Amino acid sequence: MTRVAVAAFGPDRPGMIAAITGVLMGHGGNLEDTSMTVLQGNFAMMLVVSVPEGEAPDSLESALSHEMAPLGLTVVVRPLDDASTVAGEVMAEESNWSVSVRGADRPGIVHRVTRLLADHGANIVDLTTRVIGGATEPVYVMLFEITLGPSADVDRMEAELVTLGEELGVEIHIRSHETDVL
Amino acid sequence: MQQPVLHLPHPVLSQPSSAIEQIDQSALDLATALLDTMRASGHSVGVAAPQIGVSLRAFCIDVTGHRKAKSCHGEIVLFNPVIIEHSGSEIGREGCMSVPELTGDVARATELAVSGIGLDGEDHRFEVNAFEARAMQHEIDHLDGYLFLDRAVAPNRVFPRRVYRDE
Repeated sequence: MTRVAVAAFGPDRPGMIAAITGVLMGHGGNLEDTSMTVLQGNFAMMLVVSVPEGEAPDSLESALSHEMAPLGLTVVVRPLDDASTVAGEVMAEESNWSVSVRGADRPGIVHRVTRLLADHGANIVDLTTRVIGGATEPVYVMLFEITLGPSADVDRMEAELVTLGEELGVEIHIRSHETDVL
Repeated sequence: MQQPVLHLPHPVLSQPSSAIEQIDQSALDLATALLDTMRASGHSVGVAAPQIGVSLRAFCIDVTGHRKAKSCHGEIVLFNPVIIEHSGSEIGREGCMSVPELTGDVARATELAVSGIGLDGEDHRFEVNAFEARAMQHEIDHLDGYLFLDRAVAPNRVFPRRVYRDE
């Protein structure tokens, strides 16, 4: 088996997942990690799929695009090499944190915050952003899950986040997510 | 004696356990196995019988020294535990020796009254809170065939657990 990444995007409607997974099953595909969500009425999905040897990504993309076209779904399939699938395995001691950002929408919030996080060596493992509050007074909400290595200076990073928040006019909070094994 | 901890998808982890009829030597042996397994793990604060392959209603916990603990009754072994009262709710991130590759955010009651049978064969009642309450709810869930995955507050609140050792 080899692995491919499947990304698909299109107007949300019932039956999308059933349809695309049916096509994948017909090609001998087996779903591994997936993430799917609705963004402003559009269904977005990312899937890691193991497929039989000889199932070429481009022909799978053609088949999926053909089958999903009636539902308005755009599909991209790319090969995954082994290196891109080992990131979740045992790593050095890390800590888990949530970062929340909220405030009046303006260009550059995601970029500035993620730049700062990257400069501190933070690895973003999950990011959800939403614009709420309507067109007249849009409010931007971002929720990050990040991991930090043992040498990260969390206090300094938090201080810099607060300063950045003041500059951008947004509230930024960080909190620890210590996992307890029960 | 320390027992190997079963991992998902072992079927025992997903089935409701049976009540223990009497506190005889086999029940006490089970308690010893639970305690030995918990102590040997080093980083776990509780073990439920299904996790070592025994589909009976028994668990042990020990939150001694845990940073998030308020109430602390030391080592507790309880047979046929029942949650009598609960109140409050708090979300916390849980891991489980039976699901070593994932963690998840779970809402648990913050105050609990739990009754059950102790090692002495007598009924006991525990008033617990904070982390001790969370640990008890996690272990009692095991006795009903539930894992923290079944309790995650949202599907996107389950995360890969990237640090784990032999367990």
